[in-house]
Amino acid sequence: MSKLLKLPLYLLAAALCFFVVTFTIYMFNLDMKATALLAPWLEKWYDHLEHKQYI
Amino acid sequence: MKTVEKLVNPVKRAGEQSPGRIYDEKLKVRARREWRGLKDTLYDYTRWLYLIFVLARFIVVPRNIKGFFRYRWMMSYLFVPHGMDKFTVGLRDEALRIAHTSFNFVIADVTQAIANCFRGDRRVGNDVAYSDKCVITDENSMVTFMMGFDTKKVHTILREVPTMFASNIFHQFNVMHYLDIAQQYGIPGDVCPMPEAEAGISIEDDFCVLGKCAVQNNTTCDGSLMGNGIIAKRLEREYGIPTFQLATPLRHKEPDVMEYAATEIKKAIAFVEEHTGEKWDWAVYFTAAKRVNDATRCRIAQMEINSTPYPQFFGAAFSLYNDTNYMGNSGRNADFVTIDHKLLALAEQGYRAKRMYAKEYRHRAIVWGVQPQYVIDMLYWLVQCWGVVPLTDMLSVINTDMIAEEDTPENREQAYRDMAMLNMEMIMRNHTHGGYKVLLDDLWELCEKMNADLVMMWEHMSCKALTGMHGMFEEQARERGIHIMWVSHDLCDPRVFTRQAIRDQVNNYMRTVMREEPLDPSLENIPDNEAY
Amino acid sequence: MRDLKHLIYFENLLQEANNALVAQAKSDGKICVAYTCENVPEPLLNLGDCVSIRLTAPHTGSMDIATYYMTNLLCEPSRALLERAVEGGFNFADCVITPDGCTMMNRAVENMELLHTMGQGNPKFFHEYMEIAFKNTESDVDLSVLQCTNHVLRPLHEKYGVDISDAAIREAVARHNKLCRLIREIGEFRKGDRPRITGYEFHVLCLATYVCPKYLVIDKLEETLEELKTREPDEKPWRARLLVVGSEMDDSGMIKLIEEQGALVCCDRFCFGSYPGRVEIALNDEEDALRQVCRHYIRNCQCPRMMNQEKVYGRKQYVAELAKEYGADGIIYEQVKFCDPWAYERTLGSSMLNLDYGYPVLSVDRPYNIASSSGQMRTRVQAFVESIEIKKIQRGEQA
Repeated sequence: MSKLLKLPLYLLAAALCFFVVTFTIYMFNLDMKATALLAPWLEKWYDHLEHKQYI
Repeated sequence: MKTVEKLVNPVKRAGEQSPGRIYDEKLKVRARREWRGLKDTLYDYTRWLYLIFVLARFIVVPRNIKGFFRYRWMMSYLFVPHGMDKFTVGLRDEALRIAHTSFNFVIADVTQAIANCFRGDRRVGNDVAYSDKCVITDENSMVTFMMGFDTKKVHTILREVPTMFASNIFHQFNVMHYLDIAQQYGIPGDVCPMPEAEAGISIEDDFCVLGKCAVQNNTTCDGSLMGNGIIAKRLEREYGIPTFQLATPLRHKEPDVMEYAATEIKKAIAFVEEHTGEKWDWAVYFTAAKRVNDATRCRIAQMEINSTPYPQFFGAAFSLYNDTNYMGNSGRNADFVTIDHKLLALAEQGYRAKRMYAKEYRHRAIVWGVQPQYVIDMLYWLVQCWGVVPLTDMLSVINTDMIAEEDTPENREQAYRDMAMLNMEMIMRNHTHGGYKVLLDDLWELCEKMNADLVMMWEHMSCKALTGMHGMFEEQARERGIHIMWVSHDLCDPRVFTRQAIRDQVNNYMRTVMREEPLDPSLENIPDNEAY
Repeated sequence: MRDLKHLIYFENLLQEANNALVAQAKSDGKICVAYTCENVPEPLLNLGDCVSIRLTAPHTGSMDIATYYMTNLLCEPSRALLERAVEGGFNFADCVITPDGCTMMNRAVENMELLHTMGQGNPKFFHEYMEIAFKNTESDVDLSVLQCTNHVLRPLHEKYGVDISDAAIREAVARHNKLCRLIREIGEFRKGDRPRITGYEFHVLCLATYVCPKYLVIDKLEETLEELKTREPDEKPWRARLLVVGSEMDDSGMIKLIEEQGALVCCDRFCFGSYPGRVEIALNDEEDALRQVCRHYIRNCQCPRMMNQEKVYGRKQYVAELAKEYGADGIIYEQVKFCDPWAYERTLGSSMLNLDYGYPVLSVDRPYNIASSSGQMRTRVQAFVESIEIKKIQRGEQA
């Protein structure tokens, strides 16, 4: 089979992989779970920033 | 007491029946997303993908990364997909699509607002030429005075929207830091936390610094007016950004304040012209005026649909969109027109199909008062858990009058009065200020018009304009045979009333006063007090 | 010092809103115009046979009924007034004129109206609400003129036949100015190292001019002024001289509490105090009197709801000038609990007066009736006075 004919198959396989990965992330809320793990570190980062605080 | 006919949904909801079970206390986010049946789950998934795309497109810009690590409030935007899930709990069919269409549009708008802020921010993008064409305004602000400025030449930056208003929706704890700062500097804890948090952000120096000039106003309340003084001090004295105070009369139903209100609009326009060097363009104004009228017509149609037994518009996503369109847009952006009509078409489709969004509709409710930012998804919960259909909320009950839209010499003068009217009748203050009639009488008229038997009264404990009529609400509801369910909260501060404490007020009322059992017991207690 | 001859007389007048002089004015056939905010031009409420009576609720204890109607989150003055109105304490009023100044006070009066607390048996009784200016520009003066015409003058004329002509306004201003001169002259005796009047005594006299018909207090005030000219001041020096700034002070007990700690309240800059409420109104013959009166109130207004930056900074400048004029060692910024405008104003004011003008500042909130919670306030004031003394010692001055 020529490469040209295989291209749609590759695209289809890539799309399928993309769908499986992203749908798994979506369905199991992995994006927000990862963010929730990151949040405490970010808070520490913001706590350490210098601010010119006055009224 | 007034009763309404109970409606039973003949169609079983696709997918899972108890979305309350997907919350997980330890994770602070949901254990997984809701299964809505194949069609709606796939739709929801594509909307999630779109959101991720919008956020990714934002964060790949280097200056936005810099801004992300500079400003604490930016952390909230990591939780936008979490916010999306809050707004779509239990939704299917057209309701799901209405929520996504409005929510995703608002997110795209807010993301653009942040990107604009960072572009001009002296600490981040420092694009001076861009900043010199920016006018900063308040969060609770009608931008009618910008309707005649070409949006490509002068940029309106509602600086407090992404910083405080929206960020609190996605991350309930994020403004607590700023409230603590404000209180540390002496502002008491009993004032409205929204302007207080904004003052705290200014004290902390956590606002983006940009703009050629700024326009503040007194549209919401005493607290908002007073908080502006603190913010203006820093803007003017430290950053050299001249600030104009646009005074908006409170007694907006009295004809004898109109001349003053219109004069103030003229002064605000002159101020913007003077500082930005751009001129007011009547062609631009009347184009925007046509869009304002178009949005008004859509809003009237929405209210009509919601007055029927099969209401289609409810919940925070739609309300948030309405706020953005009415206040932050005011006809300046043509994209809103497309969305308005898309939303209306979806609702009409749902209405024709007699679509219901819970197992039963037991009560028809008007939601009055001001909703808490950190439990903004409450109205979806209300219908799913207790079958109480929120027909409209106070913030969505806004102007229904048309404004002049043809460019004639007479209409140019009328235009100032129209802008003044819209400014005075801004969201919330059109009911909380202007005398008791707009707060009390308007509610009872709405109950009658929309056939409501119950009022869910948000009692924002620091909103003195509203709590100042507490007893009158009770007495007049009793006279009219309308149930009134008080739900207290503190707007932005979840330490005062947690999410569950807020829901429990409804649970208790429904069980003890109405003697009813929940439609979905899995939703009655949700372990999300610690969730973002 | 020897007691002032009429002090007890004036103190008694402050014991209830419907006091002996209000009753006398009613029997004289006067029209009692009740009001709640110092942004209403007072001379306009004293035209012809009208007498202005500022609503107060002395000795407020329980506020249960008002708390039911307005919750416990509204400021205590607004609830105290509603409670007193429900109890029938303001039945003397022939009308109530309220500006939409602060939200809470406006709501209090709206509740009074809805509950029909006043006006029984008086078909002419009316409630009027008015918009008041936010800034000090000429268009704000235009607004004020229109609002005063529509919501003060016209109803008074239509309901009670009151003469609202330019001449009548000028005559009312002349009477008002006479009273202001008296109060200001009395207030001058607070100046100097050996003041001849205490802050408490002055507050009692000043407050009486708001809550009583003015024509009935003039003679006693004149006598008091004469008495002060020869009054022998105390030998014992005050520990500190303080300027008090903030929300309305209907309770002279608060001033007394401060002075019991050895600090003289040498000047007052609170709602219904002598600054700016007892500043004379200068009229010329060229412009109509109403417009000049309105302009006076807008230009002199020190209310925190005035929102343009000139006013925001001007208020702090005004306090600093008063402190200098009256030789204040420190400033107390006070806010009645739950008052939103003064919550922010005292935060910004206490910061600016300290950092920009160099004054020691005590920033406190307080109840409407200080007797309900005097211990905490006493401790705060004591500590503040001591801190001022210590600073004086550190500067090498005599404490």
